[in-house]
Amino acid sequence: MINDRNGMLDEETELTAEPVRKQWAVLRLLSRSYLMLVLLAMIIIGNLVSPDFLTSRNALNVLTFSSIIALLAVGQFFVVLTGGIDLSVGAVLALATVVAALTMQAGLGAGEAAGITLAVCAVVGLLTGGLIVYLGIPPFIATLAMMTAIQGFSYIIQSTSLIYIENQTFVNIFSEGSLLGLRSPVLIFVTVTIIAAIVARYTVFGRQLYAIGGNREAARLSGLPVNRNLMVTYTISTVLAGLAGLLAAAQLYQGSSLIGRGYELDAIAAVVVGGATLMGGRGDPIAAVVGVFILSIIVNIMNLVGISSEPQLVIKGVVILLAVYLSSAGGVTQLARVFGFGSRSGSSGT
Amino acid sequence: MQSVQDVVLGLEGVSKRYPGVQALENINLEFRKGTIHGLAGQNGAGKSTLVKIIAGAETPDSGRLLVSGEPIAFQNPNHAQSAGVQTIYQELSLVPQLSVAENITLGAPPRNAVGLVDWAEMNVIAEQALERVGFKLNVTRAVSDYSVAEQQAVELAKALRKDAKILLLDEPTSALPQPDVKRFFEVLRKLADDGVALVYISHRMDEIFSICSEVSVLRDGRHVASLNTSESRPADVIHAMVGESLEGSLAKAALTGEKSVKIGSNCTEQVFLSLRNVSDGGKLSDISVDVHSGEVLGISGLLGSGQSELAQIFAGARERQSGDILVDGRNVTYRSPSEAILCGVGYLPQDRKSHGFVPEMSVAQNITLANLSGFSRLGFIREGAEKERAGGLAKRLAMRISGIDQAMGTLSGGTQQKAILARWLVRSSRALICDEPTRGVDVEAKEEVYELLRDFASNGGTVVIASSELSEALMCDRVLVMARGQIVAELDHSEIDPDGHAIMKYYA
Repeated sequence: MINDRNGMLDEETELTAEPVRKQWAVLRLLSRSYLMLVLLAMIIIGNLVSPDFLTSRNALNVLTFSSIIALLAVGQFFVVLTGGIDLSVGAVLALATVVAALTMQAGLGAGEAAGITLAVCAVVGLLTGGLIVYLGIPPFIATLAMMTAIQGFSYIIQSTSLIYIENQTFVNIFSEGSLLGLRSPVLIFVTVTIIAAIVARYTVFGRQLYAIGGNREAARLSGLPVNRNLMVTYTISTVLAGLAGLLAAAQLYQGSSLIGRGYELDAIAAVVVGGATLMGGRGDPIAAVVGVFILSIIVNIMNLVGISSEPQLVIKGVVILLAVYLSSAGGVTQLARVFGFGSRSGSSGT
Repeated sequence: MQSVQDVVLGLEGVSKRYPGVQALENINLEFRKGTIHGLAGQNGAGKSTLVKIIAGAETPDSGRLLVSGEPIAFQNPNHAQSAGVQTIYQELSLVPQLSVAENITLGAPPRNAVGLVDWAEMNVIAEQALERVGFKLNVTRAVSDYSVAEQQAVELAKALRKDAKILLLDEPTSALPQPDVKRFFEVLRKLADDGVALVYISHRMDEIFSICSEVSVLRDGRHVASLNTSESRPADVIHAMVGESLEGSLAKAALTGEKSVKIGSNCTEQVFLSLRNVSDGGKLSDISVDVHSGEVLGISGLLGSGQSELAQIFAGARERQSGDILVDGRNVTYRSPSEAILCGVGYLPQDRKSHGFVPEMSVAQNITLANLSGFSRLGFIREGAEKERAGGLAKRLAMRISGIDQAMGTLSGGTQQKAILARWLVRSSRALICDEPTRGVDVEAKEEVYELLRDFASNGGTVVIASSELSEALMCDRVLVMARGQIVAELDHSEIDPDGHAIMKYYA
């Protein structure tokens, strides 16, 4: 999608004069790559303010924490792409940790536990999708209700405050093992992100989601399976939340209904920082994951320099607003005008 | 007779450029007190940009505006409004749930001593404003309770409530039934007599010639002609708009009403699509229709007579309560657009923008939207094949695009309609259900759309045209006339006179 749009601009600008074309090329490049620039800036700042930042131990911390949110963000991206929202993913993550811990406590192996956990999450997703598609409940309300219900449900089935996980195979698969020098959480989220990017960009399903988010009625009138795709999308979101739950459970050696509170908001923030709009029809999964890293690096830097948690929240809020202004709200174009890139269009207004 | 003082609004050398296109180039125009000045031009000629500049929604790159001889640079629409420039856009900008009075005073309701809304005063203001446009409505009722014509009057009253020296009207009659247009014109003439300068933008020559004293024509962003309507013919204006002779063309015939040209001529005995006793539980009840292969069937009626709903039934886009749908004599009774599409029925919806296409997706992606399985292997889209096919169709349908990757939302109405048509050609659809197929489509593209439908029918395709444009009904092999959700007449092409009186007499 993104590439296509830029391709269109290429052709359009060909009609105009050479210097003008260069200005637009700069602008275009800026708005496309600004996310990577921001990420790069974050890393440079981190390195400047704290000598601990670019150590492998710290990088591993950031990556490990981010891998969980990244999985949530990829799932959330598909939901947001269709013009919906999924508030239940944090609660589903907690449910997944509890189900995994319970099944292993009951003596099942790591593979079986993971399989059952993901299946439970898929059922939750189908249920959520059904509420939205067949009962016509708005996504915000449907997933809010699911979030509340699942939180309660997880607490009921765990019956104590938390369940320890002693299955070392499980911990190895989802947290401590490594392959080709990459820790398994990193391996898992990178694989998922790449598959998601391919699905979004190159498959019929991805194309249909962009169409549904871009104009749902036009998609319906063109015969696209809108309802089926929405069901699948919410299921993807909860299954990825379940997978994130497996990572969290393995990292913490436990299942608990308290894990993952508020993670859904981090995921949504990352998706919009990555340039998607809540109206649907825009964005891509890789940008959403870059959004995750921008946000978690900021938190990491603030932790390293010893900013306490409340000011951290304020700064994080400001950063989210700034990032969304730059990506979705056309801020790059506006700023470029201020700094003279788009002098042609800027001259008229002032 | 007219002196310089009469010029309420002047444009001097106004130019505006958007990325890749010169929207306006050195426009000089004068609008005089007490006159109705027509503004004509095809889609993309720069009319909307000009309206936006006059209304303060855009600033020109160069040149200036003069209000009553004084140069003025509007910062925003509010600024323009306080300077006496009021605008009525094509789409009504009313809040349906609010009362008539609330809508008329929207933005600046009268306040009482405590600063709360003065409801009594508000109603009085609203009634006075409505009186000025010749309407009397219960101003405490919700706007949605009233007809389109009455809503249009509310919109007008709202604009006039603020002191209006210049009134811009952007295709204000596009949603008005014929008898109401007359009444609306009387109101406009009265306003002109009161000394307001009116700028009237329209595609419709009959309207321009019936109320405008002068008409200025834009083409490709340039002001190419200003004609006195008493000394010129509609064909002159169309000529100026298109830039080449339209002599003998369908669009001209349709626009001027000089002759009617049938676009279907290959009607066979073979029934392709049938409705049997269809009811939608609301507007339509017990409707039965047969459409043949190669036939162009018109469903004609004033706006809101049910022709649009019937088209939706044909397309599977509207829920039926009872009745059957037959394709090739088989009872298929599809329940959704996707089932209708599988039966070979394609749909061109009336409201292109909200129902027809995905604005951010490319032309190619919009063209293949209904046939993605034909352009994919194992779930992956074959982009090369997609672009090649879409590119071929774009060429064949003479779509004006910079490339097959151009975003659909940036195209003119006519090109968008062609792309939607192409979507069904890609699927080799056997029937096209067109709801107001040329609404918002410029003159030249209109003709091309008719030609494409003609082509489609002559190759054995079935075309259903639901339309409130009389000129379109005149082109069909057979016309069903609708009123109040019922089919009130069925006329063969040969029974219809060139002026369409045979159809119109059933409208009432």
